[in-house]
Amino acid sequence: MEYALLQAVFLPLLLSPVAYILGRKMGPTPAMWFTFAILLYTTILVINASLSGPTEEHYPWTDLFGEFGFLLDGLASPFAIMIYVLSTILALYSKPYMIHKFHEQFEEEQKTIQSTSGQSSIVESTSLTNYVNAKSGLYFALYLVFAMGMLGTVLSTNLIEFYVFFEVMLIPGFFLVALWGDGPRRKIGLMFLFWTHAGAVVLLLGFLMIGLTIGSFDFADIQESEIPQDIVLASAVAISIGLGVKLAVFMFHIWLPYVHGSAPTPISALLSPAMIGIGAYGIFRLIVEFLPSTFAELSIWFHIWGLVTMIYGGAMALMQDDLKRLLAYSSISQMGYILFGIGSMSALGLAGAEMMYVTHALGKGILFMMAGIIIVKVGTRSITKLGGLAGKMPITAVCAVIGALTIMGVPPTSGFMGEWILFYGALETAIEEGSTIRAVTFGLGLVATALTMSYILWMLKRVFFGKTPEHLEHVKEGSWYMTAPMMVLAGFTVVLGIYPDIFLKTIIPYMNGVLGV
Amino acid sequence: MATEALGLPFEATSAAAWMVWILPFAAALIMPAIGKASKNTTGYVAVGFALMSALSAASLLPVTLDASEVHHQITWIDSIGLEAGVLADPLSVIMANVVGWISFLIMIYSTGYMKGDKDITRFWFWMLFFIGSMQIIVLSDNLLQVFIGWEGVGLASYALISFWYRDKKKDHVGVEGRTVLGLLDYYSPTHAGMKAFIMTKVGDVMMIAGMLLIFLFAGTFGFKELMGDFAWAETMSAQGLLVPAFVLLFGGAVGKSAQFPLNEWLLEAMTGPTAVSALIHAATMVKAGVFLVARIGPIVFALGAAGILADQFFEIVAWVGAITALLLATQGMVNPEIKKVLAYSTGSQIGYMMMALGVAGLSQQYVDGYTAGFFHLISHAMFKASLFMAAGSLLHVVGSRFMTDMGGLRKHMKKTYAFMWAAGLGLMGAPFITTGFWSKDAIFAAVFESGSEWAMPLYAIAVLTAVITAFYTTRMIGLVFYGKPSKHIEKMEQEGHHIHEAPLSMWVPYGILAVLTIGVGIIGLSAEEGIHHLFTDFLEHSYGIHMVHHESGESILPGFLQGLNPIALGSSLIAFATGIGLGYVFYIGRWVDATKFVNSNIFFYAIHKTILNRWYLNAIIYWCFVVAPLWLARAVFRYFERTAIDYGMNDGFQKAVGWSARVVQGTQTGVSQSYLFVFGAGLLFVVLILLI
Repeated sequence: MEYALLQAVFLPLLLSPVAYILGRKMGPTPAMWFTFAILLYTTILVINASLSGPTEEHYPWTDLFGEFGFLLDGLASPFAIMIYVLSTILALYSKPYMIHKFHEQFEEEQKTIQSTSGQSSIVESTSLTNYVNAKSGLYFALYLVFAMGMLGTVLSTNLIEFYVFFEVMLIPGFFLVALWGDGPRRKIGLMFLFWTHAGAVVLLLGFLMIGLTIGSFDFADIQESEIPQDIVLASAVAISIGLGVKLAVFMFHIWLPYVHGSAPTPISALLSPAMIGIGAYGIFRLIVEFLPSTFAELSIWFHIWGLVTMIYGGAMALMQDDLKRLLAYSSISQMGYILFGIGSMSALGLAGAEMMYVTHALGKGILFMMAGIIIVKVGTRSITKLGGLAGKMPITAVCAVIGALTIMGVPPTSGFMGEWILFYGALETAIEEGSTIRAVTFGLGLVATALTMSYILWMLKRVFFGKTPEHLEHVKEGSWYMTAPMMVLAGFTVVLGIYPDIFLKTIIPYMNGVLGV
Repeated sequence: MATEALGLPFEATSAAAWMVWILPFAAALIMPAIGKASKNTTGYVAVGFALMSALSAASLLPVTLDASEVHHQITWIDSIGLEAGVLADPLSVIMANVVGWISFLIMIYSTGYMKGDKDITRFWFWMLFFIGSMQIIVLSDNLLQVFIGWEGVGLASYALISFWYRDKKKDHVGVEGRTVLGLLDYYSPTHAGMKAFIMTKVGDVMMIAGMLLIFLFAGTFGFKELMGDFAWAETMSAQGLLVPAFVLLFGGAVGKSAQFPLNEWLLEAMTGPTAVSALIHAATMVKAGVFLVARIGPIVFALGAAGILADQFFEIVAWVGAITALLLATQGMVNPEIKKVLAYSTGSQIGYMMMALGVAGLSQQYVDGYTAGFFHLISHAMFKASLFMAAGSLLHVVGSRFMTDMGGLRKHMKKTYAFMWAAGLGLMGAPFITTGFWSKDAIFAAVFESGSEWAMPLYAIAVLTAVITAFYTTRMIGLVFYGKPSKHIEKMEQEGHHIHEAPLSMWVPYGILAVLTIGVGIIGLSAEEGIHHLFTDFLEHSYGIHMVHHESGESILPGFLQGLNPIALGSSLIAFATGIGLGYVFYIGRWVDATKFVNSNIFFYAIHKTILNRWYLNAIIYWCFVVAPLWLARAVFRYFERTAIDYGMNDGFQKAVGWSARVVQGTQTGVSQSYLFVFGAGLLFVVLILLI
């Protein structure tokens, strides 16, 4: 289909004002269904395009920057599909969660108004509906822009275009956190903006070094051989750091636990599984594909960096009491797996790393939704106050277990299919190079899976099993809007775990091509 | 083939092989829907599907008769060139039948045992999942698929061990408040499930490393393909990776079969419903490790025959088995909980099997030890399933897991009493009439005749373990059925609870198995010879391992015992007599009070305490791998993440910006003289530069 990718990226942006107006005039439900419909349509466009093999579209842009294009190939399609599938599904989930949040904030604001001016609340009670309508309009509009920003990044074919989309997803993200986050939301929103923006600027620096040296920003024109050695290395390091901030790897992970802990849960469920992994996409595309010999030099550092992140994130997750912060640290750890796989520098290792993105998106998506249901239905996110919820909310519990298995890499979930391929890649390079360091990192990486298992199982035990505290006696299962999306993702992860070829058959040929195997 | 004429894509037998594991999964998948419609039907459906799966396994039996095999593959992960498949050869078919039929009996038992449980649907789901996963391990033709079943078994065990996830006091194991090295020796179901899953995962991590190493060099996970050409093994051997790879694979078996040093999860696994314990110990889970060794052992031996030696693998297997056999048997002597005694006994018996499979590889006659180990697996499956189910009945009736709360039950539960004796005799290895005797004797003979340098120490351990086994089994039966009823029972009867026999659906399954233990035991020698013959053909046909023909001299044994090793036979008889005799003195005749005996001197007391504290192994593992890492993680969180990262980078950065803003702000004084002064100074500076 012509203009499929153009539609997929820009339709949500163009129609976001409509979502705003719909929300404002008619309330959250129509806005939600409208958002869902747009995203569903564009998701189908993306899936359809990726089924017909690599798809490219090019449109004229400015002379200075080059072409404005979209490329959906073996690398981009799993990313693109996961981003849009998650966005579509989470649109449904957003409604009950955000209404809950709007009510909470409304009461909060009422309190401040009452305490400052002492107005009566008779007038205010009618305005609750207006308040919710207005806010949900804004929410869904921002949501659409956020989704299209992520998709645009993974489809772009030009350095500047990449950077633009990279920032486009940041801005709605900032507003979503700053407006409806938990805790000191403005501060955390700003922290998110500053850190990831600082990362993006470093990234841009790397882009400019490359672009100005070769005189073009188009991906197609980037040839390592034409760039002087020192500039390539410097720009590769700049790009890695810029993307590292997005990936929240060890030492650049500062912002992530705050933001993912605070963001409204559907947004956490998009940030964590879909957005931060885009950093990995960037490394694949910009470094592995375009700067292969520099990548060969840097790979061992990626490998070790990944390992450290894996272990560090897992160890910190053990210490968390806040459910969402625990999941946030878990995401850091999972990004470590991805980086570890990238550093393995073998086709299957890289393929495993990309599979990890897919499975992490599924598994962590489920787990964040689980956290959201608990927040809405129980009203707390402190693990010590939870317990024995499996009997109260069986569907959530079952889905959470499936999500947990995905993160742990236990078959029959897709997590296993990502993990063994990834570790195989690491082992392959270790043996081929006869490198002791790589052999040790391989071993430690495998041991880290036991750590992952420990924090996840311990979390499940404390949340869903054991004695039910008295204040949880009347907890009910979440609504269908919230449980159905989880079940869909749980289904995906099992299907993918049994038949991983759905994604592997596009990923592996690409990786073989990139590494010239 | 008639089926080919019908145009079917594959033969009926390979379809049956697939069905053996697909059926339980199919049943598990529909279980939630059935549970929603009617909870009472779930049991029938589950048992029905278990029966169909067992029948499919039985339909494969003709394969074993002529040592042929059914191997069928389908495309799976095409992009890596992997195929999924089933491999039904004598080894896997016999195993599939053992698993299938024993699981079927346990499922029948469960209908009685779990009656009225409100989470029954979940129970059936996981039981079926468990059986299905085990059958995947048994019938798969490649390591990757085996690993999937392997993890499935781990998952199912996690779910079933912590089945009663509400952590009620009655579902705990251990003595409340008892500590070892400052750590509680008292576990809740959810803790136990987690412990089992993580501890076996440690084994799995090793296994996957071994698998990936083999895949790297061989380019295949398939058992048949690995036997095709030994070039991969030569390369690995040259790089010194062959033995590590196989030992790592064995690491998986160590975890799953609860062998030393990953044995500690098995005890806490007793928090699950007893039907689950029976399944874990007799049919699924712990037997998986033995099966894996039986699967890869012949490959390693065949490699050795081709000149690519990996004897250390067999040595490690044999020694791990021997250590476990003794270590866990000793603990069985002192534990007060009936299920834990049986659990220790399982670990110990699995140790025997490992020892036999290991020793086999160290001898010339591979098939002897191989058959002995596998035959012991079969006989153990029968009597241990029976014992566990009987123990479940006791728990059901008495409402306590402690043997000290039982006593004198032989009058009230005649059937259970008789069956427990029969199965118990199997475990003790009562001469000539039980399967346990023949299989244990075969292991003794295999170890004794192996000609390995380790033969004598291993043999000594094996015999000592047999003495201990006979002793603790007698102790268990004595404590439960003999003597006076305990205070607990008296209290129950005063309160109007009548101690009665278990219902029909419960005692029939363990009755069948107890009778089989004796029944097969009577024809045990010929049964063993049958398996021996079968495996001789199988090993020759599939692995090219030839039987070595000895010049058999005149046997000193008379009649049907000719051909048995007299020394093995003799020590087996002596071990049995010693063990049961000691047990009788303390626990049936009660001529000597065991507690007084232990407390009579400091030496016995110290030994008793050490053993009761699980040789401190569990506590040490907890200190090193749970307490210390958590402490470390807390320290890092507090002193690095919170300070260096959070305050240092986040707040520090914020403060630095704030500070620099104030510095810059300081220049904006608003006093025109100072501006003029700076302006003048700047101007002077520029002029000076221009002049120079």
